[in-house]
Amino acid sequence: MYCVKVAEVNKMCRDVVEIVFDRDLRGYPGQFVMLNVFGYEEIPLSLSSPKSLTVKGVGKTTKALLNSKKGDVFGVRGPFGRPFSLPSVDEKVYLVAGGIGIAPLNYLYQTLKDEFEVIAIHGIRCKDEIMYDYPEIATDDGSAGFKGNAVELFLRIADFEEKMRVYSCGPKPMLLNLYKAMKKRNLLDCLEISLENYMKCGIGICGSCVTECGKRVCKDGPVFKGIDIIF
Amino acid sequence: MLEVVISDLKLENPVILASGILGSKWSSLAKVAEFSGAIVAKSVGLNSREGYKNPVVLNQECSIVNAVGLASPGAKEFSKELEKLFKVTNKPLIVSLFAQSSEEFSSLPNYFPFASAFELNLSCPHAEKLGMAIGVDEKAVKDCIKAVKEVTDKPVFAKLTPNVTDITKIGIAAEKGGADAVVAVNTFKAISIDVVSRKPVLSNVKGGLSGKAIKPLALRCVWDLYEVLDIPIIGCGGISNWKDVVEFILAGAIAVQVGSAFYESYRAVEGIVKGLNDYLSYTGEKIEELVGLAHGGV
Repeated sequence: MYCVKVAEVNKMCRDVVEIVFDRDLRGYPGQFVMLNVFGYEEIPLSLSSPKSLTVKGVGKTTKALLNSKKGDVFGVRGPFGRPFSLPSVDEKVYLVAGGIGIAPLNYLYQTLKDEFEVIAIHGIRCKDEIMYDYPEIATDDGSAGFKGNAVELFLRIADFEEKMRVYSCGPKPMLLNLYKAMKKRNLLDCLEISLENYMKCGIGICGSCVTECGKRVCKDGPVFKGIDIIF
Repeated sequence: MLEVVISDLKLENPVILASGILGSKWSSLAKVAEFSGAIVAKSVGLNSREGYKNPVVLNQECSIVNAVGLASPGAKEFSKELEKLFKVTNKPLIVSLFAQSSEEFSSLPNYFPFASAFELNLSCPHAEKLGMAIGVDEKAVKDCIKAVKEVTDKPVFAKLTPNVTDITKIGIAAEKGGADAVVAVNTFKAISIDVVSRKPVLSNVKGGLSGKAIKPLALRCVWDLYEVLDIPIIGCGGISNWKDVVEFILAGAIAVQVGSAFYESYRAVEGIVKGLNDYLSYTGEKIEELVGLAHGGV
C-alpha cells in the first residue's frame, strides 16, 4: 500500500464526485485500485483517468468520499486487474455505459478519442445525472437525449455492417441486455465488459469475487471478453 | 511417480490447495482442482461469521498479511455450495473446520458426508477463541481431534500453528489425539503499519503472515515435526515452485499445501506439478522415496 494526496475534487452531479490525485497511479483503462479510506473501509474503484477515481455515494465509505477535499490522503493498493484491450485500427469504437459505469469508460474514451472514431453512450435515469459532456445521453424519463436505456440507444445508432469494438460497464441487467444483443448478432468477440463484484483481497487469492464460471473478477477481470463470460 | 497416500487418501500428486485460498465458491475450487492432488475448502464453522471489514489483506514484498476473520456462511449453507463441486470434479475434497470447543468440532463432520477428509483449523492467528486459541494448548488439541475422530471414519488432519514455543509438543498431542496427519504450518502472527496514516493497515490490526517470506520458517517446523512424529506431515508455508516442494518433501513432508502463490497465478499448482513431474522423470524416482531424505546422516 502507498498513499496518495487529493489534488482536486470535481462534483460531477448530485451524488457523484471525481477525485483527482496529485500523481499518476500508473494504471490502464479498465484497471481498478483498492482505495483505503482511513477510518472507513477499503473498497475497489475503477480508474476514471490516469490520476482520478469517479465515485458514486452508495454505501458508508463511498458516501464519505463525496465529502473528500483537496489535501486528503488515501491508501492505495494497485492498480490491479485486466484492463480493456485496444481496438484494431479499422474498428469503430462504441462505449456503452450505465450510471457510474461511465468511470472506467471515461478513461478509455480519453485514451482512444484522438486516434479512433469513438461513440460514447451514457444511460442514466434523468438529466440531473449527466456527468460528462461528450457522450450521447439516454435517459429513462426522456428528460435529456434519447428516451430509453443505453442499450436501446446503442442498437439504434450502431452500424453492425462495419467492424466494431464495444466496451461496456454498468448495472448487470444492462450488461445482460447488451450481451444478448451482441450474441444474437454473433458479435461476442467484439464485446468487452467490465464487471463488478464484492471484493476483499483484490489480488486473486481470497475468492470472494469469483463468478459462477470460476473467474476472479479482481484478477481475471474486471474486464472480460464477451466470449469468456457466461451470464 | 507423483502419487502419494496419506492415511487412506490417495492423491494423484502431492500438491494440495491450502485452506482460505479461492475456497469459498465451488467454481473456483473446481478450477484449482483440475491440477491439484486435493483441495481444501475455506474453513467453516457451525454458524455464519461475517469476518472483518476491509482491509483484510495486504500484499507486500515477498509476503501477504491477512486477517479475513474466518468469514463463513456456516456449515449448512456451505455444505450446499460444496456439494455442487461433485458435478465437475472427483478430486478429494478436504473440508476445513473451525470451532470453539471439542463438542462444537464434533457437530460439524455430519454436515459434509461427501468430504474425503477433514482438516481441523487449530491455527488461525486472528480470530478470538478460535483456531490458534485452541492450537497452542496441547490438551485442547488432543481433545478436539479425538472428538472429531469419534464421529467420522474419514481421515482427520490437524493444521498447526507455528506461533508456539515448541511445535513438536503440539504435533505429538495431535498424534496422540488420533490425527491421521498434521499440516504444518498456518500463518505467523504479524502486523503492518502505514507510515502516512501512522495506523495499522488491517482493520483487525493484527493478522497472519504467509507467502515466500515464511518458507524457511515453515520448512524448519516440518523438519522438527518429522523427527518426532510417526504420522504423515503435510508441509505448508511460502511454497511457490517445484523446488520448494522438493525441499519440504526432503524435510519430511509427504505432501504440501499451496496458497499465497495464487497471487502470482491462478495456474500456480499446474506449474508446480509440471516441474515436479519433470524433476522426477529426470531422477527416475517416486516422490514418496524422497520423504525425509535430508535427515539421513545428519
